[in-house]
Amino acid sequence: MIGSSGETLAIEDVRKVRQGDDGRPVEILRGVNLEVPPGRLTVVVGPSGGGKSTLLRLVNRLEDPSSGRILLSGTDIAAIDPLQLRRRIGVVLQLPFMYEGTVLDNLQRGFVFRGVPAPAAKDAGLLQILELCRLSVDLLARQARSLSIGQQQRVGLARTLLAAPGLLVLDEPTSALDRPTSDQLGRTLQEICHQHQISVLMMTHDLRLAQRVADHAAFLDEGRIVESGEAGSLFANPRSEGLKNFLTSPVDPREDGHV
Amino acid sequence: MSETVINLSIIDLALVYGLVLIAIGLARFNRIGQERALLWSSLRMIVQLLVVGYLLKMVFTIASPLPVMLILLFMGGFAVHAVGARVKEKMPRFYQVVGLAMFTGCGGGTFFLCTLVIGLTPWYDPRYLIPLTGMIIGNSMTGASLAAERLAAEMKERRHEIETSLCLGATPRQASVDAVRSAFRAALIPSINAMAAMGIVFLPGMMTGQILSGTEPLLAVRYQIAIMCVITASVAVTSFLILLLGYRSFFTPACQLRIEP
Repeated sequence: MIGSSGETLAIEDVRKVRQGDDGRPVEILRGVNLEVPPGRLTVVVGPSGGGKSTLLRLVNRLEDPSSGRILLSGTDIAAIDPLQLRRRIGVVLQLPFMYEGTVLDNLQRGFVFRGVPAPAAKDAGLLQILELCRLSVDLLARQARSLSIGQQQRVGLARTLLAAPGLLVLDEPTSALDRPTSDQLGRTLQEICHQHQISVLMMTHDLRLAQRVADHAAFLDEGRIVESGEAGSLFANPRSEGLKNFLTSPVDPREDGHV
Repeated sequence: MSETVINLSIIDLALVYGLVLIAIGLARFNRIGQERALLWSSLRMIVQLLVVGYLLKMVFTIASPLPVMLILLFMGGFAVHAVGARVKEKMPRFYQVVGLAMFTGCGGGTFFLCTLVIGLTPWYDPRYLIPLTGMIIGNSMTGASLAAERLAAEMKERRHEIETSLCLGATPRQASVDAVRSAFRAALIPSINAMAAMGIVFLPGMMTGQILSGTEPLLAVRYQIAIMCVITASVAVTSFLILLLGYRSFFTPACQLRIEP
């Protein structure tokens, strides 16, 4: 098993108000309630600008909510040391940043930050994660920034998994990927979740991906979870007008200009 | 020393101001403008320098530490204000950070040079203390502006990198080390360039002044070396403190970057 056992996340009535460009407060999240069950793949879908990225930033305390609370396996995250919290919850930001240096340097970065010995290129755990993320061992010596976006996305994922989180959170992991690469990443996420018991929470506007991989799904629009439930029935029988429209929207998410 | 300097009379000054008037006349005759700016700034220069001259003369005659200290404090306060005017993106608690850094960097440098190296008697001798402190503060001011400006810009530009590091479990210090490094480099560049070009591209003002007033050239060179070393150290200490106190102000106690997306 790669991670610690799957953690649960409970988001309770979370609101987030930000200062808008004109100085007036803007309500980005208007009372979000969401349950991320252990060892399952939960996907939050919704249009761009609906609050997905903001919600993700609250989960590992890159920001704090204006009100409401978030519980990680029963404990309010505001009471957990942020460095500890960010180890238990592995967040992969959209288009993960690659540090200067090789892929191996990038994979070892988290260990360097935490001041613990980093695994070498032949470490069994490292090799297992490389295989899981479908990264070839030959890539380890390559300059990380010379890789394709798809490969960088995988390095970002592997780098986060190396810290053995109990919950993996991803922001639009396929926004820059073509279909085959994106399908492959979807399968990797399912494996991480179902075979290694790491809970996964993914934010995406890629409906195709969501329908293929999600166990549990929620529709986030205009700062609210409009509906949520078991993925199959949610996508088959949407109750709200918003989700119905979103499901039948003709726009390919990769072609709407938002990356 | 002063007896070797040739006197300049009011008539001599009128003669050189004639040159400025000729420049103004040329500008006017050719209709290329700037005559007002030339006239105004040249008059301003004369008035400011005369005021400083009389002030210094007064301070020299009084020969008491209080007015000297007041002048130094005024210079320091003005420098902090000037840094504030130059830096557009101010970090949180900007004036406290810059003030403390300038006071430590410049105060330490001045004390070291005047008391431990030159050994002024009396310790407040304004003939040395005021111009030397002025040079130290002036250079540190440039370093402080560059450090503060660069730090804010780097934090903003590197937001994605910094937050990626935070997600991987970095402390704020670890996450911002590259931003701090690059701001420190920017702050030191003028001092490094000045030292490298010194004596080849230009003769430094203090040394030139001492030579003009009759100081033996090799002694003037020694003074120049001393002041350059102190300036470099003061700039480095001031910038370092600004960065050290400054990077923290970009993070909350919960290790969150204060710059919102």
